[in-house]
Amino acid sequence: MSSSKGTKIVSYTIVLLMLSLYVLPLFYLFNVSMKTQSEYLMDPVALAKGLRLENFMDAWDKGNFSQYMWNSILYTGVSTLLTLIISVFAAFPLARGYVKFSTFFYVFFLISMYLPNPLIPQFALINSLGLYNTQLGFILLKTTGTGIAFLMFVGYIKSVSRELDEAAAMDGCGYSRYLFTILVPLMKPVLATGIILTAIGAWNDIIGPTIYLSDPAYQPVTKGLFSFYGQYMNNWPLLACGILIVTLPLVILYIFLQRFIVGGAMAGAVKS
Amino acid sequence: MYPFGKGAARIMPYLLLSIPVLLYLLLGFGPSMVTVLFSFTDATGVPGQTWNFIGFENYTTFFTSSDSGDRIASIGRSLYFAVAVVVIQNAVGLFMAILINKKLKGDVLYRSVFFLPVVLGVTVSGLIWQLLANPLGGPAQALLNFFGTSSNFFGDYDIAFELIIFVQIWMYMGYSMTIFLAGLQSIPSDLYEAGYMDGASGWKAFKNITFPMIAPSFTVNMLLSIIGALQTFDIIYVLTGGKFNTTTLAFDVYATAFGSGTSDYGLASAVAMIQFVFVFTVSMIALYYLRRREVEM
Repeated sequence: MSSSKGTKIVSYTIVLLMLSLYVLPLFYLFNVSMKTQSEYLMDPVALAKGLRLENFMDAWDKGNFSQYMWNSILYTGVSTLLTLIISVFAAFPLARGYVKFSTFFYVFFLISMYLPNPLIPQFALINSLGLYNTQLGFILLKTTGTGIAFLMFVGYIKSVSRELDEAAAMDGCGYSRYLFTILVPLMKPVLATGIILTAIGAWNDIIGPTIYLSDPAYQPVTKGLFSFYGQYMNNWPLLACGILIVTLPLVILYIFLQRFIVGGAMAGAVKS
Repeated sequence: MYPFGKGAARIMPYLLLSIPVLLYLLLGFGPSMVTVLFSFTDATGVPGQTWNFIGFENYTTFFTSSDSGDRIASIGRSLYFAVAVVVIQNAVGLFMAILINKKLKGDVLYRSVFFLPVVLGVTVSGLIWQLLANPLGGPAQALLNFFGTSSNFFGDYDIAFELIIFVQIWMYMGYSMTIFLAGLQSIPSDLYEAGYMDGASGWKAFKNITFPMIAPSFTVNMLLSIIGALQTFDIIYVLTGGKFNTTTLAFDVYATAFGSGTSDYGLASAVAMIQFVFVFTVSMIALYYLRRREVEM
């Protein structure tokens, strides 16, 4: 497309304006985190008078973030790993038609987007199984083979040559060995995006922990941060530190993995 | 044909597939169906209490009880939320995608920054906007003071819901933009050159080349944002907790079942069913029109 110098300038201006709508809030957050409470109350908008990193230590202790972080890592790690494995179990035979009624099963999984909200019976079930307020129960709920990873995998596996299956089978490779030693390594790019999108969803869930985990010892960092907010509602410098503590690991991870995430959002653009 | 042998070897794919199927039946599909059942009962969350079938009583309660004014208002609000989010989020997302696709310097940076709120999640994004909209002298208040006015923002009955819509769009604009960008980048550039020869540039090129070519990303984006917007309520939970006229159908399901002091599973399930009918109808109508548009191109 040919674009003149004038339109370029207009384009840059609009993009930069939009960019400031995303960057300035983060800058303001950082600025508030560097203030004392009295500095903040006197003039919330003014620039901080210097770095005050001890605010972070204070927030870390008061917010009990080490406990919450560990829980989040456990829930996100285990449920993402399990989700990925069983998504491969489902995606491969359905993409290839290796089981009867493959199309039926695919659609059956797909309609999970439209079905009536399962929240209430899910809760009743977890409750009656004695899994309410347990780490196992929450991980179980976060593990599903029908989510975004499954949909991405089906699309990707279709692009892997079917002759590869046949060649491997000819050499005596069994079904499950083929999955783990040949197919999974081939799926690396789509696995990476599947991991990231699944993990983002698990890490950021706030409703799940609110319903299923009332014991603070089991809550993940989203719920921990929200409780912290309820407790220190008027101490924004402390809260800003808490928000940044929760934000930082994700931002660092995002900087490293951003090309996978954006690529994955495109490939797996089926469910938000 | 299945290449991995016959007899016992034929069982393996079924065996492995049964794990996701069972999980889905137990934790997803099954509970969904029980929601239908619950909506016709007086089930509660009180342990040990038996429940009975009561027909359509929950549904009549929804529409005729003393607080049904609020419930019916939440239907309107869900629709308002969905229309505003779907239209603005996709319009801005498409516009930004077209700008960034013009080979601007730093496009990777823009893409990453606009997608960042999705990574940060609802809790962090919500609290960041709570901080910005702090009525006691925060930057949003300072801006309003400059124009000689003020507001309680998320505590303001008149605009709290609009602000939630804004935060929702702020969070997911980058997601829509990313999908549109993928569509735009798949358009071969010689199409534009050919179009340019025929005198198609600017708006004409957009209408006749770009828009038809990105039909699939358009469909995905529309469906995603329609379903997403009608089912979203975590952002409301974080920003207002449903207070200040910000309850939607999806939030009402949660509040009726798990809100403080209430655990009316029957009524909450009926609300969930009304929400389901709503989501299903709207997305099927959208799908019908979007598919037709894809075929026509």
